[in-house]
Amino acid sequence: MPKDRSEKVRVTIDGRSIDAEKGKSILEVARECGIEIPSLCYHPGLESFGACRLCVVEITKPGWEGWKKLVTSCLYPVEEELIIDTRSEEVRENRSVVLDLLLARVPESDVIRQLAAEYGIHDTSYTKREDADTCIMCTICVRVCDAIGANAIATLSRGPDKYVDVPDKDACIGCLACALSCPTNAIPFEEFVNGKRKIWGREFDLVYDEISHEPIGTPEQIDHFAEKSGLPKEYFLKSDKVRKKETAVTFARVQF
Amino acid sequence: MNSETKTKASKKKAAVLKSDTNGKLDQIFDLYPREEDSLIMILQEVQDRLNWLPPEALDRVADELNVPRARVQGVATFYRAFSLEPRGEKVIKVCLGTACHVRGAQILVDELERRLDLKVSHGCTKDGRFSLETVNCVGACAMAPAIVVNENYYANVKPDKLDKMLKKEQQS
Repeated sequence: MPKDRSEKVRVTIDGRSIDAEKGKSILEVARECGIEIPSLCYHPGLESFGACRLCVVEITKPGWEGWKKLVTSCLYPVEEELIIDTRSEEVRENRSVVLDLLLARVPESDVIRQLAAEYGIHDTSYTKREDADTCIMCTICVRVCDAIGANAIATLSRGPDKYVDVPDKDACIGCLACALSCPTNAIPFEEFVNGKRKIWGREFDLVYDEISHEPIGTPEQIDHFAEKSGLPKEYFLKSDKVRKKETAVTFARVQF
Repeated sequence: MNSETKTKASKKKAAVLKSDTNGKLDQIFDLYPREEDSLIMILQEVQDRLNWLPPEALDRVADELNVPRARVQGVATFYRAFSLEPRGEKVIKVCLGTACHVRGAQILVDELERRLDLKVSHGCTKDGRFSLETVNCVGACAMAPAIVVNENYYANVKPDKLDKMLKKEQQS
């Protein structure tokens, strides 16, 4: 990484002076310095989306004459002289409202309940959604599926009726990226002893590593990754464990 | 009609729709550049020609524009102007705006549902002639309660005027 050549800007986060890389978001810079900002729809591998509003922080500048404003830290890039407060009264108040609303949407979600409890909310003050699943419409699943290139998931309908689904079951490659990226574990999947994997109402076969007999993934997933990456298919037919072992052996041979 | 003939009839109708779909959509893909940006325009063209967006038409749109099927479904379900249910040649829109509501528009909806044997925003009559929708104001409050059938406005509609309206629309 050509770290030295990148342009730096000086910001203050919670009283700490930090040299931050220009172009990065407040959220990224804060997390790199170990300052935790809660978020739900942020995913380091994807473009920031700003849907959950949980990562709000308060910003000001010396020239602003005391004027402050709330911004979503995942979308706001760091600027010279920016003074950021990640835990002001205003910030906590705002996050509380967001969590109160989320709790009404997904009353059964352990993740949201725990987050809300940290902000002193143990029960929502709004009407709970009936027959609620735990989806909070962060659309990480949609975006992660697009990033992988399967493009199988979409948000359907709109407003209060909006939901996430796979309209064309054949487009899904059964890779589990959506389910494993979901912040509230809203996408159910199962792996059976008979070597099948079930997700989005479809059953997939599983391919096993020939040496370690660990499940690697679905045939559809392996074909897709091989095609998109340009790497030989054999590369994807090994489990992580076997690959690590092989690397160790190769490394030992190179060393001595 | 027993259930067997009913399924036969619906299968036949599906087959007719399918063949119609193939022929009617051939020209529309040359009207716009074959890219994702054309999606809404193409869907509007499909809706204009077929009165609704059948699944096989959406498959074809996805193929021709090279857009993921999931995205096509997302757009088609987002806008209320698109219908994923079969619509009749004529769409009867009953205004349920405040003025019409106060003057008994809901009675008209109930009456039409009964006479046409269908539900609001749900399918069309067996002959494919009519489907029924409600709208939240057509801007004709002085004519309340108002009904719009395609381009024709009907003013001060009362349940006993519906027969005449349906007869007229059936013939034209």
